[in-house]
Amino acid sequence: MGRSKRFIIGGIIILAALAYLIYGGMREAIVYFVTPSELKGQERPSQDKFLRMGGMVAAGSLKKDTQNLTYRFELTDGAQSVPVHFRGVPPDLFSEGKGAVVEGRLGPDGVFLASTIMAKHAEDYSPPPEGHATVPKSFVPGQEEKRP
Amino acid sequence: MSAAIGHLSVVAAFFLALWGIIAPIAGARTGKSRLFAATRAAILGQFVLVTLASFSLIYALVTTDFSIKYVAFNTTRATPVYYRVTGLWGALEGSLLLWEWILIIFSGLVAWLYKDKHRDLMPWVLMIFSIVSVFFLGVLAFVSNPFESVFPVPPDGRGLNPLLEDANMITHPPLLYTGFVGLTVPYAFAMAALIAGKLDESWLVTTRRWTLTAWFFLTMGNLVGAYWSYHVLGWGGYWAWDPVENAAFMPWLPATAFLHSVQVQERRRMLKVWNLSLIIIAFSLTIFGTFLTRSGILSSIHAFSSGPVGTVFLAFLAFVLLGSFGLLAYRADSLKGQPELDSMVSRESAFLLNNVVLVSALFTIFLGTIFPLISEAVAGVQVSVGAPYFNSVTVPLFLLLVFLMGVGPMIAWRKASWDNLKRNFLWPAAAALAGAVALFAWRIRDFLPLLGFTLLLFVVFTILFDTALAVRARRRLAGEGIFKALVTLARRNQRRYGGFIVHLGIVLIMMGIAGSMGYSVEREATLRTGESLSLGRYRILFEGLKGSQQPTHFRVEGTFRVFNEGKDLGTMSPALKFFPAQQSPVGRAVYRSTVTDDLYVILSGFSELQQNQATLKMLVRPLLMWMWLGGLVIVLGTIVAVWPSNKHSAVSDQQSAGLKADG
Repeated sequence: MGRSKRFIIGGIIILAALAYLIYGGMREAIVYFVTPSELKGQERPSQDKFLRMGGMVAAGSLKKDTQNLTYRFELTDGAQSVPVHFRGVPPDLFSEGKGAVVEGRLGPDGVFLASTIMAKHAEDYSPPPEGHATVPKSFVPGQEEKRP
Repeated sequence: MSAAIGHLSVVAAFFLALWGIIAPIAGARTGKSRLFAATRAAILGQFVLVTLASFSLIYALVTTDFSIKYVAFNTTRATPVYYRVTGLWGALEGSLLLWEWILIIFSGLVAWLYKDKHRDLMPWVLMIFSIVSVFFLGVLAFVSNPFESVFPVPPDGRGLNPLLEDANMITHPPLLYTGFVGLTVPYAFAMAALIAGKLDESWLVTTRRWTLTAWFFLTMGNLVGAYWSYHVLGWGGYWAWDPVENAAFMPWLPATAFLHSVQVQERRRMLKVWNLSLIIIAFSLTIFGTFLTRSGILSSIHAFSSGPVGTVFLAFLAFVLLGSFGLLAYRADSLKGQPELDSMVSRESAFLLNNVVLVSALFTIFLGTIFPLISEAVAGVQVSVGAPYFNSVTVPLFLLLVFLMGVGPMIAWRKASWDNLKRNFLWPAAAALAGAVALFAWRIRDFLPLLGFTLLLFVVFTILFDTALAVRARRRLAGEGIFKALVTLARRNQRRYGGFIVHLGIVLIMMGIAGSMGYSVEREATLRTGESLSLGRYRILFEGLKGSQQPTHFRVEGTFRVFNEGKDLGTMSPALKFFPAQQSPVGRAVYRSTVTDDLYVILSGFSELQQNQATLKMLVRPLLMWMWLGGLVIVLGTIVAVWPSNKHSAVSDQQSAGLKADG
């Protein structure tokens, strides 16, 4: 067998192994991205499929249960909204009226069961409407008396 | 005032760089050597101007000159001075200026160090530097100007992203940029060799130390980035295969391949085209990385916001690829006729295989990173490729790489005899297998971690065994003690022993990755004061919450007492930080490192009303500390490898390499 032939065969084996690795990895790890409208518009809702859904956390929809670490909220893209149920600890930048991406599956009852929440970081921040609105007042010294 | 000085300097440097490109071409046409000298003057002039521009921006940041938009967006009056300075690389425009500054420092150093050397290459080397520089200066002058003014001048700035206010963020971007820019040096020499048609090994030998230095900064940049992620982001991990991380990591792979394959060319004059291609790819990836992170085309948690910058970078990337590979094709005839491989069982083929694996890893990571783009462009389907893809694809490749790391440095050049194989690998392999049995008997039962730890042991044993033989030889030959013998060996053969130390550092990093990937556990719960949470050998008792006003933010801190198998280890205080200019709190995770595992504690929420209830997440990550220690070992190894040596030891370097090859 000639030298170049051996190199070609070796090359094919390496490429085949690589293609197999990539194919296997992709099949397991690829996640489809949908918006609430797309999810609702689907003829056969993609249950049991691992999805990523992006939208805004609808204002006034967030219900926290800190005892059981569960969060219920509506994720909206303006046109449609999907109820989301999440158990765990959301990222720091997650809050109502802000963008979020949730990862998980759509349950049979139409509730999206999220296993991960990713909040959108941005390089440029806009200040909140009122200066220090986010500071938890009950912890600020001198304001203890206001605590119920 | 500083805005005007800065912007004018950038524009002037831009035109000087243009002159630095035209002059050598005109010089080659007319044969006037004065024009070649002008190339050098153009580089040094750019150095002065860009340095002036950088200091103008730093001055504006330190004096909080809010009439400059960049300053207003990235500092506040309350920002400490050192974070004002590091605001230089806190956002897009400033970090481009920093990149250009480092580039022109490297260019200036090359121009200064090789003033009377490589006369046939230098004009072209400096021209390539000017081409890269003119691109960055063009972007800074006309596309994303860091000195853009804002009107009306705001009373206070907005401030840096609080996540960036960390000591590691001071070092991470400059380290990474130095690594990226450092790759420009071998790239410029390679292109100069192609332009001048001087395709011997001189460009490789000249840039050897530069390449290693660039590789070192690239490695450190990535490691410090991982450390920052672990230290600050508060999710307990250090690497998420985020597109931005991939962008920083990808150039490392061809750079590492290049570092190994140049040794084959130096010694055997093989792989000429391959080496040129590798350095072109490595350099292009630094531009591609910037395109990826700055264009906003990929949704990444820490990508900068979008703008026209991405398009400009893409155009430059196309220019670099077409120009470089065009030149390579143009010189294809002079690159032919190199020796072929003598045997598949040789150091050449081990290095070649190492290159194939590294480039394969690059290809898979590249594919995974841009697959969402392809999918959306071709099929109109938005997808993302998760970390499991990258893990499942790269783990086998990296395991193979570890194996080659044990084989490559010890196997003979040209053709390894059975004798050579037996002498170098029999004992290390046997010792590694014994280690594997011991690990299995202890409790490492999963296949991948067991294989990983065994291969790592194999690498360590090959290095120890080889060094021990060499020390024994020196003791016999010169009657030196062990320590003296080690020093002599390292001084006589800096690259070999520096390389060994770097390999040991890589082994430690891999060990940390294997341990923390394979055996991490985590748990979370909401606790009331006096309640506790247990995980593994640790128990954490919630003692209370307290709030405090810090210089830049308000902080709510939880106090948790930690017990290790009942022994009191003191308290840990994870916190949530509330910055006035930010909408949501930023977490401060705390962790406790030991050689066996890290305990990582995150305060993820608390009850505002009662102050007696907190949500806690705890993670135990085995062996993680060894990753950071491995980084320190790499520092040591690199110092040994690049330490300036005199002519004499350069000769003995060759000789001992020759001895090694003969058996």
